[in-house]
Amino acid sequence: MKNEYIPYKAVISSIQKESFDTNTYKVVFDDEKIGNSFDYKQGQFAEISLLGIGEAPISITSTPSRKGFLEFSIRAAGNLTDKIHELKVGDSLFVRGPYGNSFPYDEIKGKNLYFIAGGIGLPPLRSLINMVMDNRKDFGHVKILYGAKTPDEVCFKGELAEWKKVPDSEVWITVDKPCDGWGCSVGVVTELWKETEVHSENAVAFVCGPPIMIKFVLMELEKSGFKDRDIVMTLERYMKCGVGKCGHCNIGEKFVCIDGPVFTRHEVKAMPRQENVF
Amino acid sequence: MIIKKISKSDIGELLRQSVEKWETYVPVDTDQGDTLFTLLPKEGSELENALEKVNLKDEWTVISPKDIFFPQLETMFSFEKDNIKEEVESSKKLIFGLKPCDVKGILFADAFFKRNLDDKYYLSRAEDRVIVAIGCLQPPRPEACFCTSAKTGPFIEEGFDLQLVDAGDEYIVEVASDKGREFVDLYPELFKDAEGDVSRSARKIKSDAADAVKVEVDFEKALAIMKGDPDLKENYERISERCLYCGACVYACPTCTCFNVFDDNKQDKGIRKRNWDACIFEGYTREASQHNPRKEKSVRAARRYEHKLKYDYKVNDVSGCVACGRCLASCPVNIGISKFIEEITTNKRIM
Amino acid sequence: MRKVLTTCIYCGCGCGLYLTEDKGLVTGAYPSVNHPVSKGSLCVKGWNCHEFVNRMDRLTHPLIKENGAFRKATWKEAIDLITKKFKAISSETGADSVAFLSSAKTSNEENYLMMKLARAVYKTNNVDHCARLCHASTVAGLAATFGSGAMTNSINEFEEADCYLITGSDTTAQHPLIGSRIINSVLERDAKLVVVDPRKIELEKYSTIYLQQKNGTDVAWINGMMRVIIEEGLEDKEYVEERTEGFCDLKKLVEEYTPRYVEKITTIPAEKLIEAARIYATTKKAMIVYSMGITQHTTGVDNVKSLANLAMLTGHVGRASTGVNPLRGQNNVQGACDLGALSNVYSGYQKVTDETAREKFEKAWEVEGLPGNIGLTVTEIISGLDGGKVRGLYIMGENPMISDPDSNHVRKCLENAEFLVVQDLFLTDTARFADVVLPGASFAEKDGTFTNTERRCERIRKTVDPPGEARADWEILCDVAKASGYRGMDYTDPAEIMEEIREVTPIYGGMRYDRLDSYGLQWPCPSLDHPGTPYLHKEKFAKGLGTFMPRPFIEPVESPDDEFNFILSTGRIYWHWHTRTLTGRTSTLEREAPKPFVEIHPEDAEKLGIKDEETVKVTSRRGNVSLAARITGKVAPGSCFIPFHYREAAANVLTINAVDPVAKIPEYKVCAVKVEKI
Repeated sequence: MKNEYIPYKAVISSIQKESFDTNTYKVVFDDEKIGNSFDYKQGQFAEISLLGIGEAPISITSTPSRKGFLEFSIRAAGNLTDKIHELKVGDSLFVRGPYGNSFPYDEIKGKNLYFIAGGIGLPPLRSLINMVMDNRKDFGHVKILYGAKTPDEVCFKGELAEWKKVPDSEVWITVDKPCDGWGCSVGVVTELWKETEVHSENAVAFVCGPPIMIKFVLMELEKSGFKDRDIVMTLERYMKCGVGKCGHCNIGEKFVCIDGPVFTRHEVKAMPRQENVF
Repeated sequence: MIIKKISKSDIGELLRQSVEKWETYVPVDTDQGDTLFTLLPKEGSELENALEKVNLKDEWTVISPKDIFFPQLETMFSFEKDNIKEEVESSKKLIFGLKPCDVKGILFADAFFKRNLDDKYYLSRAEDRVIVAIGCLQPPRPEACFCTSAKTGPFIEEGFDLQLVDAGDEYIVEVASDKGREFVDLYPELFKDAEGDVSRSARKIKSDAADAVKVEVDFEKALAIMKGDPDLKENYERISERCLYCGACVYACPTCTCFNVFDDNKQDKGIRKRNWDACIFEGYTREASQHNPRKEKSVRAARRYEHKLKYDYKVNDVSGCVACGRCLASCPVNIGISKFIEEITTNKRIM
Repeated sequence: MRKVLTTCIYCGCGCGLYLTEDKGLVTGAYPSVNHPVSKGSLCVKGWNCHEFVNRMDRLTHPLIKENGAFRKATWKEAIDLITKKFKAISSETGADSVAFLSSAKTSNEENYLMMKLARAVYKTNNVDHCARLCHASTVAGLAATFGSGAMTNSINEFEEADCYLITGSDTTAQHPLIGSRIINSVLERDAKLVVVDPRKIELEKYSTIYLQQKNGTDVAWINGMMRVIIEEGLEDKEYVEERTEGFCDLKKLVEEYTPRYVEKITTIPAEKLIEAARIYATTKKAMIVYSMGITQHTTGVDNVKSLANLAMLTGHVGRASTGVNPLRGQNNVQGACDLGALSNVYSGYQKVTDETAREKFEKAWEVEGLPGNIGLTVTEIISGLDGGKVRGLYIMGENPMISDPDSNHVRKCLENAEFLVVQDLFLTDTARFADVVLPGASFAEKDGTFTNTERRCERIRKTVDPPGEARADWEILCDVAKASGYRGMDYTDPAEIMEEIREVTPIYGGMRYDRLDSYGLQWPCPSLDHPGTPYLHKEKFAKGLGTFMPRPFIEPVESPDDEFNFILSTGRIYWHWHTRTLTGRTSTLEREAPKPFVEIHPEDAEKLGIKDEETVKVTSRRGNVSLAARITGKVAPGSCFIPFHYREAAANVLTINAVDPVAKIPEYKVCAVKVEKI
């Protein structure tokens, strides 16, 4: 019987600073066999540990088609992630997974795609965005709408610029508090509705970000005519085990770690209303 | 079903022999006057002392014996620098004298830990075991037991290897599984063939036992109500205001399996452990960002009752409540699921 | 897997619980069904009390500080160093240059040995413990009025009472299994509940009437209630006549405290005071329940005496389900007092100033020249370190760096200590200042007894071995005594120590281990055939007649002014225990309350422009801390509350070390602070 709770050592091979509080860590499993068997899909997450500190679920931001390593964009937001930020290239951490369901892929071929992210909500979408970009011809028009608090908080600046260059793809960025020389929009992400058109026809929207941002984006998407089944979102819940046992992420009969973290709005609406899940 | 008999006076000998093959857990009186599920010592005077105090009467053991498979605090693995050492327990176990509601609870937990991905810690502890149930003639928690309402006792029809029916000087032994058959076959001199119409006397004993259960609620109706989308905010608010947040209802519940995981270390040596957790606690769903979808107390109360009486049923066709009444019995402020059921089925306020 | 009955280590309820042992580790805790307090229940701390025992950062061997850093030492080295230093100091500057702090977290036997070590071996009465900081006022106040300084009644009697007057006790948070009995009685038996507290505690929800007094005005409202009672003829005349003395003095003194006058002092509306007085006086079985909110004042003893007056006036003492019930905080603070870990008494409250008592102990301990002067108290001992009045200090299981008032002052004292020994489970904030650190055993690792708040002396039992070289505190104390050249502290086990305690301590005379085996006995229990005493002062008071001791209202030492315009009160919360040495190492408890906070009334928050959970700075004349604001109607406008558990923002940086003149208890409950946005 496999012990799902045992994590495996992985070595940090590079660290990319994404924003003032978020770094992307490229890691390679110490044991090649583990690395090869770590078969994941876009949107899944892994449990990352530092022994003696603890463990947390982190979404995998690399793309399954690019093998041999994993990438995690981690925001320093607590005891464990603060400690991870102290690590250097060559240091190790411990990884188990992959867990959770994944973003639809084959089902969205031929569709227009909207990726709407707030703050640290972009990293979970990155895996899927890169898959789409790698197979750009399979999809319709792509729009990335991204809001952050400040220009400092904008993640994947390099990639955002790359994505923008891909034909038939748009990237719209807005910040709440601009600094001097900020060339993009100002305001919360829903402000972008004023600047670019959002059409629900033959479209799927992917939404990821803090609860309050999701709430407002959902209202806008509804106004734009999106059906609940065409809105795909990831739910954030406190998780411990990642394998549907510890109970923390249980909402109704669903476990976010097993049945999610990717849900359509239709599925979310079926969840108990007092749970405050949009 | 095969029916055997064993004399009460032979139980000591049976356990004396069983400890050689199994880690044997049985309710034993402590020197101070409580009755607890206890691991029998392997031999010698310690074993003999324990055997003298084995108590198969209808006693209230505070927590369900779920902690045999799912300890309150458990080591998952130890580590030193980057080396991880898995710690898994997998002895053969005989759980002797388990109450029917607790059997139901354990079966529920088994299914849960097997669903989706395996939980190796639980499953390896629980894998090789024999369950000898014993029905209750009198409810161990007279003000709280309501098993007849949920049909989880005082005797059950399946899920055990053996079930003992107290018939005065002897137990009628119902053998429900291959494991049970192998077990009775191991001790032919102790398990005797039943003579006469034992089924009939067993039926009478069982129906008297059922009559002895005082607390009755409309369990089916409660499940039906919960299946809809009832507005019970007032109940949840009242319950969650009265609650002291001790965790007893969860800790004592045979089907509650939530846990927390944490590391304990000194320099580069350490242990990753897990311990019982409870959905009624505020921090249970608090995220690193401090956002907490269940900050409100009443939402946590709703979570607990809906989980037990609605969602478990939705997933398993089995309710998450086995009607043992332990939540009420251990609650310092007399909140219990039976009372909740009574409130929602009768529209009366009783808590 | 074994299960061993023991007693909870947290509050004074003294719940009986089983510890589960598996492969040498403690893996669980759950309630005893038949224990008279727990009855199948525990609070969250009890259910989780096993976790810290296994923590890997437990102290596992003695440490000696050399050149500013600790190094591992052998037991012999450590104990030799301690005795060498203590003997040298003692002979150089006199016996009273050394002092000993005992612990309400350790067993009765260990407290007895600590005071024996101080008195018999080192010939000083400088032995005290944290009861000084919690219920010293109770011991003094109730001893003076009733003749016995303990909770008069029993926990199960709460289940029968018709009325509770709760003041200065956040009962559901601090003594959950007493709080639960009150809630159940109110909701299920229609018992009356009078809550008098500056802070809207949880029980306020259930109260028949709630009086919110200004902090530090307790004598005034109690006198006011008594005036109402006398005015309306609601006193128990027969009781007053037959069982008490001093009524005339009382009547005269309270005359001045008219409801209107009291309202001016306390802000309690006159009509509410009258109604509350009537409820308390006219119910047959009424219990007064109080805790630190009454005792931790410069008028702590006055507060306690006043409550005793109120109970006697209405005849609410000496029957089941009545009485004056100070709820003791620590699991064994009652026992630590009973066993003489106080600067003025031997075990059983026999006074060190009493020559007969001294002779008795000299004989029992086979020593000569026991000191007859009253020793220094906790705050005096700590202060004595600065300036050299106290040159050697031995602290067992206490953490004054966090728990004592005015932390900056405490720090200075500890830094200046000439020779400091700390015996504990973990390297606490206090232990960091030590010259020698000794690793003790936890409650799960030793035998002994605790005495709970209802005077129930009950067993703790060894479940696992201590980690590494750690040893039971009683063993360590015996070794120190032996190394110091004393032969009278040599025992094979705690049962043998209890035999000696029985000999010299009348109230514990019948407490032989075999008799304590099930769920203990309540003192006084003078002989082996005595069944113990569920409630005190039946038929007559311990001192004969109960004495009314009327006291006038006196203002707290520090009142708010223009600059320091808030009243700060400190206390505990449900999830944590004292300095968090144990609960901070318990995952569930720490998660539920991970960070310090200050409670501020919404009106004040609005005035100051403070948002909920925003970090604010709280400053007193002694220091400042920064912590999260929690905006809540629990506190009154102009008041704030900080739990004292958190070293990260230690409330005691702010508190004042002004003390009650009699009990020497600090005024933790009132000091003046300012609150600022940062």
